[in-house]
Amino acid sequence: MGVPIESSPPPGWEREGIDSLLGMFPPGRLSEIVGPRSSGASSLLLALIARITTSGSGEGGGQVAFVDGMDALDPASTAAAGADLSALLWVRCGGRLRVALSAADLLARCPGFALVVLDLDELGPVPPSAYIRLQRAVEGTPTTLIVRSERHREGTPASLVLATRRLAPRWMGLRPLTRLAGLRSEISISRSRLHPLSPLGRGQGEGSWTLDWTLSQ
Amino acid sequence: MMRIACLLMTNEPAAHTTLLQVALAHSPRVEDAGGGCVYLDAAGLRSLFGDDATLADRLREAATAAGLAVRVGIAASRIGALAAARFGSGATVVEPGGDAAALATAPLALLTLSEALATRLSRWGLRTLGELAALPTAGLFERAGAEGVQAQRLARGEDPRPLASWRPEPAFEESVDCEWGLETLEPVVERLGELAARLCGRLGARGLAADGFEWICRLAGGRAHEGALTPAVPLTEATAVTGLLRLALEARPPRGIVEGLTLRARPTRAAPAQESLTDPSRPSPRFLAATMNRLVALVGSDRIGAPALLDSHRPDAVGLGAYASPSPRRGEGRVRGSEVRGSEARGSGNAPVLALRRLRPPAPAAVTLASGRPVAMRSSRLAGRIVAGVGPWRSSGEWWTQQPWLQDEWDVELADGTLCRLAHDGSAWHIAGIYD
Repeated sequence: MGVPIESSPPPGWEREGIDSLLGMFPPGRLSEIVGPRSSGASSLLLALIARITTSGSGEGGGQVAFVDGMDALDPASTAAAGADLSALLWVRCGGRLRVALSAADLLARCPGFALVVLDLDELGPVPPSAYIRLQRAVEGTPTTLIVRSERHREGTPASLVLATRRLAPRWMGLRPLTRLAGLRSEISISRSRLHPLSPLGRGQGEGSWTLDWTLSQ
Repeated sequence: MMRIACLLMTNEPAAHTTLLQVALAHSPRVEDAGGGCVYLDAAGLRSLFGDDATLADRLREAATAAGLAVRVGIAASRIGALAAARFGSGATVVEPGGDAAALATAPLALLTLSEALATRLSRWGLRTLGELAALPTAGLFERAGAEGVQAQRLARGEDPRPLASWRPEPAFEESVDCEWGLETLEPVVERLGELAARLCGRLGARGLAADGFEWICRLAGGRAHEGALTPAVPLTEATAVTGLLRLALEARPPRGIVEGLTLRARPTRAAPAQESLTDPSRPSPRFLAATMNRLVALVGSDRIGAPALLDSHRPDAVGLGAYASPSPRRGEGRVRGSEVRGSEARGSGNAPVLALRRLRPPAPAAVTLASGRPVAMRSSRLAGRIVAGVGPWRSSGEWWTQQPWLQDEWDVELADGTLCRLAHDGSAWHIAGIYD
């Protein structure tokens, strides 16, 4: 078994890279983050939530609504990522797809949220009409709407689709291993109707980022 | 010319509000001095009530009619009026220009002095206001500072400070009688909407919002249907209030013909929607209140709120706090009676943190061990051979309570690349979460 051995956190994290990635999500549009388990999709979401909830210069940052289809959000990870939990509205849907879609629709139509996240994970299939309804709900508003699911479904009106892919876990220590240090994943643009990095405008591999996510202790 | 009347209650200090109402019935400018003492502006009341002596008698009679025993003093200053009320015959008038003479024999205790100044004046042997008034001002300033000079001015009956007007707390209540009786919900909501518009107009004019509403539907036969609602955020917009009332009444409609309606609002200071120009705006209170109510109806009140970390090392110790109403400072707050951890748990914002997706409830798993280490697992959510793993990370706590906990955690990688957290609670294995 080829296990990479690391004695210090890797230097793979580039602030500039993640900043440009997080700045891609267009307001007033539906975006998707798709990827299988342990591919870094949830970590990307938490980084975005942290960025938005701490964006203000005063007491409050932007407000984020998180519709949690599978009750999977870990507030400890969210806080460790730097998010302001008081600026986060957490709606737990208990694995009920229709409830999650209705909650996301209500929140997308409530002005003032900088970001509305619909975390579906394994829930589905979602009818395309639901995506269209969500897209219409945020059109012309400053709200960014992101749907996180395991796989992209053709026919959705998403303006930006980011696909996450697991590269390798990072372990620390010689044999035996001592602890899990993090995860390296690749994030690529699967579809973009807004950015010049679209596969139609650039090479397929040019719109991709390799990111190292570190496990907080 | 300034004329001040002082009403000094000699009994029933609990009836202070009644005393204020008596004063307000005679003058539009009233100051609440507290402790059964009220000042009112007596200037310009001659055409209404006659001269000062007549006004003093009238005030005393009105107070007596309200069940209060009061002494009345009228003078050119507050302190003069107070001295006249306290040391006079019951209804005493100090003629204009006579305040200093009237105050000359009054004790120093009539003034509200700091402890240091009172002690100093006492050491100087001063006992009356007249003795204080007779001191040279320059020397008093050198020894007692500005406070001493201010006290001397009062002792001379010089009190230029205007009255601090008192206003009764407005009652935010509106009612309407329905002449024909309302049999269906729609006209009831429509009438309540009209009442809400009136209430919100009054609230808005005072810079207030309402954080609670109560309604009473008077039904035929003398019965009443009552209800209350608490919006997620204080409201000032009638359409939002009407929407909430509609939802509440649809959930619990009145059982009978409605002959009258009353709507009350509980006023509070409205929080700004945007703290500063450089901060992002918050959701509109109007829309947020309606959205929160619909979400509560959709998922339940115990499944929505701001996440908060409880002050416990128990795995997945999280709670749900109130969202946005009121907005706590970052990292602070309380959740269901428990202290929460916030700022210490939050990272710097620059850390690229690997997220853990919790499985709630944790998924039971069958784990195969070899030399005490897990080598394979199977559950309804995940199954496969374990190719790498570290652990156990042992934690325990609350052994001093009725619900102690103990957990061994393993971080493992399955053959398909999935990273997950396995846990053993002493009796069974389960999957606590999946790293993503």
